[in-house]
Parts: sequence; structure tokens; C-alpha cells
Amino acid sequence: MKRRLASSLAALLSAAAALSACQGSEDQGPVNLSKGVPVGAVLALTGNANVYGQDQKIGIELSLAALNGAGGVNGKPLSLSIEDGGSAEPSANAAVSLEINRGILALIGPTLSQQSFSAGPIAQRRGVPLVAPSNTATGIPEIGYFISRVSAQSSVIAPLSIAKALQLNPGIRRAAVFYAQDDAYSTAETVIFQQALTAKGLKPVTVQRTQLNDQDFQSQITAALNQKPDLVVLSLQAMDGGNLIRQLRELGYRGAIVVGNGMNTPNIYPICQKYCDGILIAQAYSPELQTPANQRFTAAFAAAQARNPKVSPIPPQLTAQAYTAMQVIGEALARLDRRQPLKGLPLAQARKALMAEILGGTYQTPLGEIRFTPEGEVIQKNFFVAQVRMNAGGKSGRFSLLP
Amino acid sequence: MDAGLLEQMLLGALLGLSVYLPLRCGQLSLATPGFFAIGGTVAALLSTRVPALAGSGSTYPITSVLLEMALAALLTGVLALGLGRVVLRLRGIYLAIATIALVEILRVVTLNLEFTGGALGIFGIPQPFDSAAGYAAFTLALLALICWLCDRLEKNRPGRAMAAIRDDELAAASQGINTADTKLLAFVLSALVAGITGVVAAHFLNSWNAKLGNFDASITTLAFVVFGGSRTWLGPVFGGLLLTALPELLRPVGDLRLIVFGAVILVGPLFFPKGVITPELFKSFKRRIRGTPTAAAQGVKP
Amino acid sequence: MEGLLQLLFNGLSVGAVYALFALGYTLVFSVLGVINFAHGAIFTMGAYFTYLLIGGAVGANGLLAGLQFPFALPFWLALPLAGIASAAVALVVERIAFRPLRDRGSDPLLALITSLGAGVILVNLIQLLVGAESYSIPVGTLGSLPAALNIAGAKVRTVQVMLLAISGLLLAALSIWINGSRSGKALQAVSEDPITAQLLGINSSRVIQIAFGISGFLAGMAGGLVGLSISIAGPYFGIGYGLKGLGVLVLGGLGSVPGAVLGGLIIGLAEACVPADLSGYKDAVSFGFLFLVLLIRPQGLLGRPQSNKV
Repeated sequence: MKRRLASSLAALLSAAAALSACQGSEDQGPVNLSKGVPVGAVLALTGNANVYGQDQKIGIELSLAALNGAGGVNGKPLSLSIEDGGSAEPSANAAVSLEINRGILALIGPTLSQQSFSAGPIAQRRGVPLVAPSNTATGIPEIGYFISRVSAQSSVIAPLSIAKALQLNPGIRRAAVFYAQDDAYSTAETVIFQQALTAKGLKPVTVQRTQLNDQDFQSQITAALNQKPDLVVLSLQAMDGGNLIRQLRELGYRGAIVVGNGMNTPNIYPICQKYCDGILIAQAYSPELQTPANQRFTAAFAAAQARNPKVSPIPPQLTAQAYTAMQVIGEALARLDRRQPLKGLPLAQARKALMAEILGGTYQTPLGEIRFTPEGEVIQKNFFVAQVRMNAGGKSGRFSLLP
Repeated sequence: MDAGLLEQMLLGALLGLSVYLPLRCGQLSLATPGFFAIGGTVAALLSTRVPALAGSGSTYPITSVLLEMALAALLTGVLALGLGRVVLRLRGIYLAIATIALVEILRVVTLNLEFTGGALGIFGIPQPFDSAAGYAAFTLALLALICWLCDRLEKNRPGRAMAAIRDDELAAASQGINTADTKLLAFVLSALVAGITGVVAAHFLNSWNAKLGNFDASITTLAFVVFGGSRTWLGPVFGGLLLTALPELLRPVGDLRLIVFGAVILVGPLFFPKGVITPELFKSFKRRIRGTPTAAAQGVKP
Repeated sequence: MEGLLQLLFNGLSVGAVYALFALGYTLVFSVLGVINFAHGAIFTMGAYFTYLLIGGAVGANGLLAGLQFPFALPFWLALPLAGIASAAVALVVERIAFRPLRDRGSDPLLALITSLGAGVILVNLIQLLVGAESYSIPVGTLGSLPAALNIAGAKVRTVQVMLLAISGLLLAALSIWINGSRSGKALQAVSEDPITAQLLGINSSRVIQIAFGISGFLAGMAGGLVGLSISIAGPYFGIGYGLKGLGVLVLGGLGSVPGAVLGGLIIGLAEACVPADLSGYKDAVSFGFLFLVLLIRPQGLLGRPQSNKV
């Protein structure tokens, strides 16, 4: 019996040793350009966050097509590999490691802030530039030098929409606040909203907590409506936020509604339908921004969606940000290649130089002009406040930009 | 293969063992992710909030990790001792659901407490190893130790008592086995294994939050044991290693990968109702090694 | 008084959904003694079937992008048809994940894992076919009914009242069937004692199929109704209810049909009673409740005493 244990353990150990022996590439070799200039993306294509990953994938692919259409990296095409990071940390870590072992120069993702807190340090340790397209939690660029993001934090955007609501309706006195307590974005943004409200002398009359997967808000809504609010401020994602708005209106609320950045997507239209009309929204991206970069992007998006006339031809923020992340990497690679040709450059050195190039640049993107702080935090020039205008049938609408 | 994946597989094997221990005496407890979450939270809190543990070197000292493991074991052990007395009065599916309820309650409480970081959790957990390979070596040693202990257990008195309870609780009690204490022992051991696994996982994952111990994890870890087999410790180890690796190994099939994964966990128990690894498998394996012709082999001969 | 009435409405409106979900869940439990983890996925499929049958179009991201049936049925017709389609899915699940285990005489608890596998396949199949985006059943589907009712000062959404009424109707129909028909009585006999039932000449395989069929039908209807109330949040839509449903199941008594409804309503009410400041603890309250019930009365409120069947 002893022998059985010993032999099983030995088998286990040797299997493990064999597995770790086949551990992937060495970062010291030259950049592998045989299939193009390698770039990776890790997106939440399965699990609860799959709808975000799906929006992001469209953006990255459109951006790739645009970059390669314009000559790629000085004539060499970019080659993109997208991996599913799932909606949890272990799967994101595995996908990030896989991409890095493939020898990619830079990485886009992961989708969720929590995943970045877990997978970001891996990219940092291995010295791979990581551009987060949708993380809004505090502390993401602080993970390390190699971590940056193109998604602005809520702190910058949220107060603008409160100011706009008060400008449109100076009579507002009683604000009710809702947020999803198990969602990183939501908990961070509501703090900013509540501070902005208090600064305007509108201390919230009630703060209602929900859960990300809650879809029925009858209890919270009736409790809030008891306080007779004339302004409701939501920090929620598209699905729960859309449902809350619909139920709020159905239960008779008539006042103003301000929503946070999480709902800046046409995905809300089918959920709150005609009840979406009139909500004010803080935006890090406006499809109505009139710049050449954004017009190219919106046109490409509309063309890609044209095969399916039932789908909104207006891009969501997540798609625009993912497009931007890819664009940033593509342009930085082109600059780097002009300065120091990628061919023959050791991989580790190329990654490091690329990071410096990413941080040093200024980019004309669908989000407007953006730059980075030395830490990797995005500096975005334009933020927007829009009002949702639904069409007659209540099936489609637009985010109409407010001046 | 990447050492990071190997590490995740080894953690899966440890969690498999944690579910296996109560199941050895017929107790379907799904509390493993709860104790795992407690272990992880202990490690995350201690390593980020207690400067004395950080040491002077560039990496976080292993001794501090060991200390965290000891504290996590103490906490999960005491908790399991108290909870076990209460929940082990339940059987079968009732015990399973009660333990799922415990895991959920713990998750919600962690989410609501300020000091556990709420929805975002705790991040920036210091690293005792420079690379995933370091983690894998450490975890492999831990797994080997726990496997050795499980093997000892299977052959000793408490282990035999556990097997007797699984086969027939009434008969076991009539033979003078203290069934309540034996079941409690298995439950506490299960909690200890889950707790110390949580400590390693928290460091390895760099961050920790309430979602890491949830209902999904309860069911997945159960799948490790059912798939691998619950008669010997090698079963859950095999199940944990394989089922953790499978979604990663299936990446080449792209969009179909989780569908194939689902098919594997569906079909596995149909073809291997006792799990892939069974004591019978060992016996036939041993026979073959020793060259004793088996009945089947004789039958094939002309 | 007005506050109390509102509380009652709030609780019942959430509870009705839990009850509806748990009805089919408990039916399978009653005959097999195991939990069908694919139930949430079948519920989700019911919602998608309803959406397609009322003439909804598939979005841009699945293999079926742009698919739309050439007809658009009224909701009242689409809902039972979606139920029938879901029943077919449930029968397939029974065929591949449950029956082989019975045929081989394996441990019934293995069905926890095989049904989980079936659920994973279904959820990911939905994503592959129709994408991850959310779909909704248009607000106007119910015609000119008002969005909410105002009863003695308390407000409740019309959709929720309907959900409650339909759960009640389905419960009544189910009870009549179980107590009044041959196949219903056979179901009772099998859930009481499968071996004796077999000896009495009851074809237990057939009974189990019937239970799965009805369970799938109920899950599909529930999915369609919930979809009408709160939209279809993507392929993982039904999974969250699986966990809550488990609580409902135990509270009412595993395998007890009226217990499932009572359990759903009680958990709904308990959640509605959690004050706003503590609403983060809502889920913990219902599970804490469940935990206590298990310890005090493991057979649940309306269940039979625990047998050794499981």
C-alpha cells in the first residue's frame, strides 16, 4: 500500500514537472513578426459580463480593420488574438498569461475592474503594456507602470450631469439615490454623485441599495417614492438600471432622472423602452461628437451593423472605448517602429519601449483627444451630458447631446 | 502549458480534497467555497494591513504566508467545529442546501462589511514568489502533504470509521463508532484544507473579493469529486486538476469551449458513475503490472 | 395601514416569481429526489422562445443573427407555446442527463452534476445562437392595461399582479391534476415510494417523463412571464433564480407543490420587510431564514418528514 502512495505521488510530481517544463516562450527572443505585429485582447465573452465583452469585441475589430486599412504598423499588418477572460478572476488570469506567452506586444483588457486587479499585476510583472478599455475603479493605473486605461473614472463625469439637471430644472429639492452595492463601478460612482448632490445643497433624502442581479425593484422604489423625490440619481448598469427606470415610471414617478456612465449604451432602449425618454446621462463618449475620428468610427460601426437592420446603428460607449484602446496601441506601435524598427528588437525591450510610447502620445480618437498621465490614467478632453430621446414606437432612440 | 494554469489546477485539486473529506463519510457538504473565501480574506487582510508581516526583502516572506495559513486554519477550524455540530444533523440534499445557504450568507456579509473592501474587494496583495512557477512548487508541496495525510487517514481508525459511516451509518453506530464526532472531524478537516487553500489563492490571484466563494464554486468543486471519484483521495485530485484545466485546454475550439466543457461534465458521471479513479482501477492496474493475467485478458486469448 | 399593504404587494410581487420558478423545480424533486440544476436554463429558454414567438428579432451577435419568425403571435398564445417548447427541452435534458443514470442504477446524486452539465450546455448554446445582448417583450404587449394599479393607496405593477394570478392558476391546475387524474396519482405514488409504485404496475419511467415535461412547461411559462416583467437579461438570466429557487424549495418542503408557492411568497415577503438601509443584507436574510427552517423543521413547512430516499 505504501508503494501505491509513493508511486501515485511520484506520478503526480512528474506530471506537474512535465507540465511546468513546457512553460511558454522566453521574453528574451526577438519579437515574432511572422504573422504580423502581435497584439492581444482579453474580454469577458462568457459569464455574467458577456454582453460587455461582446460590445468591446466589435470595437476592437473595427479598430483593427481601420488600422490595417491604413497600412498597419508602417506597412506591416497588426495581428490580433482575442481570448475569452470569462467574468471571473482565474479565467482572466489564465487568458492574460496565455496571451503574454504567445509573445504579444501589448494587451487590451480585461473587461471588469476586479479582473484587472487580479490580472494586471501579471502583466506588470512580465512587463507587458496593458490598456484597460472599460475599468473605472479607483486604483487601476496604480497597479504599475505597464497598466493604463482609456476609460475615464466616474469622478470626472458624474458631477456634470447633476449640474445639468439643476440647470434644466432649478426647482429640484429632493434627490433619491440608487446604486448596486455588489458592483465595483456602481459603488464608486454613487459616492461621487452623492458628493456632487451635497455640494449643491441637495443631500439625498434616501439612498437605496440594490444588487447587480436584482431585476425587480418594487420594494426599493416604493420606499424611495415615499420620500417624494423630484430627482432620482442612478448608478447602475444597463440591465438593472433600465429595469429600474421602467418600474419607476410605471409606479408613477414623474420627476427628473439622472443616470451614470454605466447606462451609456443603446442596450438600455429595449429595456426601459418608452420610459427611457428624458433621462439625463453622463457620458465619457458621445456618438454625436463631431470630429473626423468619431465620424469615421460611427460610420464604420453603422456599416458593420447594416447587415442587420433591426440593430441600432449607434455605437455604445464600451465599443468606442475598446476601439480607442486598439487605436492607441496601433498608433504607438507605428511611432515606436519608426524610431526603433520592431524587426530584430528583443521582445522585452520592445514591450518596455512601447509602454513609454503609449504614455507619451496624444491621440485623436472617437472619445475626442486623449493623452495619459505618467501613471497611465487617461486625460480626456471632452465629457458630455446627453438626454435620451425615444422615437414614437419606444423601440429606438438617441442620446441627444446637450450643449 | 503555463505555470499559472498549473497553479490553478493544483488549487482545484486541493478544493476537490476539501469536498471529498466529508463525502468520505457520506456527508454532502458544499461549504468548501465558504471556508476558502474565509482563508482568502484572512490572507488578504493580514498581508495588506499588517506591515510587520511584510518583511524586509523584495518579496513577501514565506514565513508570513505560513503564519496566515495557521491563522486561517485556526479560524476556519473553530468555525467548522461550531457550525458542524449544528449542520451535520442534516443529511443528503438537506445538508447540501444548508451549506450552500451558509456560503451565500457569508458572501453577502463579506460584501456588506467595510473592512473586506465591499464589492471591489481587497487588492494589491503582496507576492511571496516572483513567478507562477514558485507558487506551483509551493502548492504542489502542500498538495503532496495533504494527499499523504489523506492516505494515512484512509488507512487509520478514523478513516475506516468514516468509510463505515458512508456505507451504513446505523451499522457503524452499532459497532461503537461515534458517528457524530467522526462526521465532525471530517467536516473540520475539510474546512482546514479549504481555508489554507484560500490563503495561497489570495496571494496568487493578487486580489480577493466576495464573489470568489459563491454558489457556482460550490457546484464546480462538487463536480471535481464526482468526476474524479470519491472512494480514494486520488479521485478528487484528478478531478480537480482535470476540470480546472479543461476550459483552458479547450480554448482552441473557441466559442464552443464551454459547450464542450458542459458535455464533459454531463457525460463523465454517465460513463464513470463511481468517478474516473476507483480502488478497482488500482487493483486491475496492479494486476497488470505484476503480470497476473486478468479474467478479461484470458478471455481475449485464442 | 397603507404602508403595510404596500409591503404585502412588494413581497407578493417578488414572491410570485420565486413561486412560479420553484413549482417546476419541486415537481422533479418530488419524483427523483434530486435537484435539476438545468431548470434555470430551461426557464431562460422559455423567455427566449416567447420573445421569438411574439415576432422578436435576434440581434447581431449570434449564429442566428437577424432571425425573425414570419409571424407574430399574441402574447397569450406565444406563452403556452413557449411552455411546450421548453417542455421539449426538459424532456431532452431528462433523456440525456437523468435517464442514463437510472438505467445504469447509478447514485441519483450524480444527477446534480449531469444536470449542471446540461445547464452549462444550454446557457452557452443560447449565447452561441442569439448572442449575449438583452431582449425585451414590448411594454404594449398587454394591450391597453394600465402600467400600475393603485389599490387603497398602495401601488403595484399590473404585470406583477398578472404573475401572481398566473402562479395561482397554475398551482390550482397542478393540484387538480395531481389529485384528480390517473397520471397525477401515479406521480404521487412514485414520489412516495418508487419501488412499490413499480410493483403496483406503475411505469415510473413514464411518470418521470411526465414530471419533466410539466416542469419544463412551467419553467418556460415562468421565463416568458418574467421576461415580460423585467426583460431578458441575456443567457444567464435564469441562473440567479436557481439559487433563490433552492431556498424556496427547502422552505416550502422539498417536493411539495403547494409548499413551493408558499415558500416563494414567504421569501418574497421576508425580503420586502428588510429595511432600506439594510437592503444589502436582503439575500442573507432569506438564506438565514432558510437555514433556520432547515435546522428546526428539515422537512420544510409543508413537506413530509425526511426519508432516507436521498
